[in-house]
Amino acid sequence: MTAQEVRLCGLLLQEHFGEVVAKVGTHLLKSGAQNLRTIIHETGISLDLVKKSLCVLVQHGTCVFSSGRKAPGSPTEYRTSCDRILRILRYPRYIYTAKTLYGDTGELIIEELLQRGDMTMSSTVKTVADRLTQNMEEGRSMDYSEVSSAFSKLVETHFLQRCPPMAGAGTKDSGTPATPATPAIPESFPDCYRVPHVTLIGRGKRRLSNEDGEDQRNAKKTKMDSETHGDEGIYWQVNFERFHLHFRDQAIISAVANKLDQTSSEIVRTMLRMSEVTTSPTATCTKPLSANEIFRSLPSSYNIPRPILDQYLTLLVDDPMEFVGKAGESGGGMYVVNLHKALANLARATLESVVQERFGSRSARIFRLLLRKRHLEQKQVEDFAMIPAKEAKDMLYTLLSQNLVQLQEIPKTPDYAPSRTFYLYTVNQLPTARMLLQNCYKTVANLIERRLFESKESKRLLEKSQRIEAILASLQASGAEPEQLTEVEEMITAPEKQQLEALRLHINKLDSAENQVDETIFLLESYVNSTATS
Amino acid sequence: MAGKGRGVAAFTFNIEALGIGRGSMPEARVGPTPLFPNTDFKPVPLKAGEDEDYMLALKQEMRGTMQRLPHNIKPQTNKAEVEKYTERYLKQTQMDDEEWAPDWNLFPKELMPQKKKPRAKPGIKKKTVKISRKDTENILSKLEELAKKDEGNPEKSDDETEKKTGNKDEEEEIEAEEYEEEDIEEDNDYIESYFDNGEDFAPDSDENMDGEATY
Amino acid sequence: MSIYLTRRDRLQGGPTLDPVTLWRYNVKARLRLEFCFHRVTGNTDVFEQQWAHEELLCRVTGGEIKELCQQFPHGITDQVIQNDMPHLEPQQRAMAINKLLSLGQLDLLRNSSGLLYRMKDMQSTSKMKGSDNQEKLVYQIIEDAGNKGIWSRDIRFKSNLPLTEINKILKNLESKKLIKAVKSVAASKKKVYMLYNLQPDRSVTGGAWYSDQDFESEFVEVLNQQCFKFLQSKAEAARDSKQSPMVQRNSSFATSHEVWKYICELGISKVDLSMDDIETILNTLIYDGKVEMTVIAAKEGTVGSVDGQMKLYRGVNPVIQPTGVVRTPCGLCPVFEDCHEGGEISPSNCIYMTEWLDF
Repeated sequence: MTAQEVRLCGLLLQEHFGEVVAKVGTHLLKSGAQNLRTIIHETGISLDLVKKSLCVLVQHGTCVFSSGRKAPGSPTEYRTSCDRILRILRYPRYIYTAKTLYGDTGELIIEELLQRGDMTMSSTVKTVADRLTQNMEEGRSMDYSEVSSAFSKLVETHFLQRCPPMAGAGTKDSGTPATPATPAIPESFPDCYRVPHVTLIGRGKRRLSNEDGEDQRNAKKTKMDSETHGDEGIYWQVNFERFHLHFRDQAIISAVANKLDQTSSEIVRTMLRMSEVTTSPTATCTKPLSANEIFRSLPSSYNIPRPILDQYLTLLVDDPMEFVGKAGESGGGMYVVNLHKALANLARATLESVVQERFGSRSARIFRLLLRKRHLEQKQVEDFAMIPAKEAKDMLYTLLSQNLVQLQEIPKTPDYAPSRTFYLYTVNQLPTARMLLQNCYKTVANLIERRLFESKESKRLLEKSQRIEAILASLQASGAEPEQLTEVEEMITAPEKQQLEALRLHINKLDSAENQVDETIFLLESYVNSTATS
Repeated sequence: MAGKGRGVAAFTFNIEALGIGRGSMPEARVGPTPLFPNTDFKPVPLKAGEDEDYMLALKQEMRGTMQRLPHNIKPQTNKAEVEKYTERYLKQTQMDDEEWAPDWNLFPKELMPQKKKPRAKPGIKKKTVKISRKDTENILSKLEELAKKDEGNPEKSDDETEKKTGNKDEEEEIEAEEYEEEDIEEDNDYIESYFDNGEDFAPDSDENMDGEATY
Repeated sequence: MSIYLTRRDRLQGGPTLDPVTLWRYNVKARLRLEFCFHRVTGNTDVFEQQWAHEELLCRVTGGEIKELCQQFPHGITDQVIQNDMPHLEPQQRAMAINKLLSLGQLDLLRNSSGLLYRMKDMQSTSKMKGSDNQEKLVYQIIEDAGNKGIWSRDIRFKSNLPLTEINKILKNLESKKLIKAVKSVAASKKKVYMLYNLQPDRSVTGGAWYSDQDFESEFVEVLNQQCFKFLQSKAEAARDSKQSPMVQRNSSFATSHEVWKYICELGISKVDLSMDDIETILNTLIYDGKVEMTVIAAKEGTVGSVDGQMKLYRGVNPVIQPTGVVRTPCGLCPVFEDCHEGGEISPSNCIYMTEWLDF
């Protein structure tokens, strides 16, 4: 765990769960597993708040606990997971992906679950149906069954999974050996993807306007009190790993589309979809698929004749990116998608992109050259890259000082005399990717800090505008005169309005940048993780 | 680990052997470097499109929602006067049906709220659990009585208590196992206010027009 | 050994050879090997002493012709050689002469009586007349360095003469136009010396990319862009052709010869560029990530093929757009390492961030 990771986790926890949870969370990140007493002692936070914070962390899956680890009967220890906290950064993407795959219903299901950490199916369905009904035109409403079926689909495709039962909670220490086929601990219990029988009949309720608030509340009250749906105690959570596999596949598909063409990418998409069920999440490549099978699985709308498919497959195999590999000759040729190789190549392209944008295309030429040729002397770099000695020297020095390239000494004599030593420049892709990943964490933390700073700077103005908006809302509700409304509106001056608009743009830019840096983070994380399993 | 190689001192070998002499070192060119030196390159524009806009909206909405959820724990200090306006207006946008009643089956028992008793030492805790096994039935029947009393008399307690009753039995059952001697009524009240972020202690209650002290 | 081998073959029932014949083959092979070795190391004389056994085993024809030429410093005709060495078959004679020509030891002249062969260093040796031994030694060292040249420091090292003496000799030789000084691109302030009539090696001049030992960086970049433009338009045309994917891919390829021709026709280069020069440029495009190269087998004699292989180049699209982190100021920040919240450089007071936000 690096300082950058802890800092970013702290900021994410703070933004979503408040500063107390952030303090407890980062304390646990730094100290490792601890029991309740030690946490209270070392953080100086009151027992009550520490307990609440731990509940929040556990509820959101960011903290695991185990008892009797040191000795039977020893106090329960809590451990926060850095990886899991960093996922908060990716929440918008999970939700958006659910929207593209399963529409508004899928979007809201994922959103609700991410907000609450975990929920039962019945309460998710009801909440989502209510929210959907809210957005429908008057007189229409969302049927529970529709939401239920979207929920079931998400479970079927493993985007949702059951929370492990409490009995397992004590043993879900990181030390638990996991078989390669089921690396995610939640998958180690058999009912992980089994949808329980839920009796849930009805439609979403519209939240009524203020006057009816009391009635509404009463209605809700009776509903909550009286109904049981048969799934009490079965909680569901978002399966991030499954989303990550989807993101990985999307990254490969879009890389193929960029490099080759749309049709090639659709073929790869088909291959990946066919392999979803059969290929383990950590496999280096998909299970071999015959050209015949691929042909049968291609959506007919693509209109790709068989001989043309063969040509596309040959071209994909020929491409130096090696997204697709040939695994045999039977069935018209057996093909795989090289998942890990693709990730490595995408990570390499990411590193190249960073050097290119930061130091210019000629430094990037040197960087790529070193990636391809492994070890080169300075003179060779100049000659291959066709860059004058002085410039090349400067560029190499800059890259060296940023740790983007490394230097190896190969002494010709054992005394390491500089005049009798070869100096070879080289790029080590994996350590460089790791370093860049850390830089990305720091970048996101910087963006958050800047956003907090910008909001703080305009705090008074923000409060003023919120106050005025609230007054406007209440005036409108009470049917005030238009003159009255404009009068209130004018309480915010033109320069103030301008300032607010600028602030809004700044915050949007910073937020959007966070989202986009997370894409770099995702690629680099996936690559680094893939090297650990292959 | 990474990215620390600034300046010559970081290298283990004689950098001049590479022909990177003092004179040619970028750092050594001009006197003091400005705090923010000029850069040759500018950031690439952010991607802009429907996807990006939607995810931006999702991000901001998520952050807003999370800050209003009871999972966002505020420190229990006295609210500063300065904050009162924001507090008040934020409250109007807050979801009014949010209390968080954790399913204590999924949490360590020690995290359950308890008011009077100081934390039990591990040894004692073990003992208590054993004892409770014997007495569970006893307590359960008491609880049922109490629950019935509660349900029969809804007007007496406020809205929040109402909503909770569904979960109450379970919660109390577990609590009872550990803290058998505790005053159940008091404990209930405590649960209600446990995750309300102390909002009902907001200083200017006269300004609290809607009377919804909950979160 | 030959006897052993034939016995073994006979025992195995294989095809047998007369031991004498076999011995002759073996000796021939060994001699050929030895001769090649000595010719490469430039010691055919040593070979003659060691292996020729007074022409019992073989004869170094080249040496004889050389000797003959030395006897006639003004040159000899083919007829003279024929007369002098009647034992040589015409074919052998021609081969020997060709070897000497290619080794640069003979000059081929033409006069009224036909073709004339003449020892090449006749001229210089005659000019060396009147030089002392030191001068001869320095000349020899420079001659050995060939067209890569040699630094005066290395001459001193090899000759063991004092530097002042060497400088004097060098000046002297230069004025006689026996040697010349060439500026090396490898080290801009150092001069290397080589024989006057030699064409300096590319490593010394830097080839097409140097004018007066200055690297013509802009020229390289212009060629880099032009080559890419050519390949890109070829790839685009291929894509627009709407033919089958395989045909599209194949028609996006260009051989280095095609690129070379295009660049020559553009007329942007004042110097003559070789195909190697163009391939060097194309390689920079590969390192730019804009071009890919494939080697295919080609029929001997196909335009642009070398040793039965042909290099094909094509312009390619990048796999990813610029990655997210370079869309933020932090991704390009020169003071990233020094940035800490609350520090002198921090996200809150960062001017790059301010500039970016207001852009």
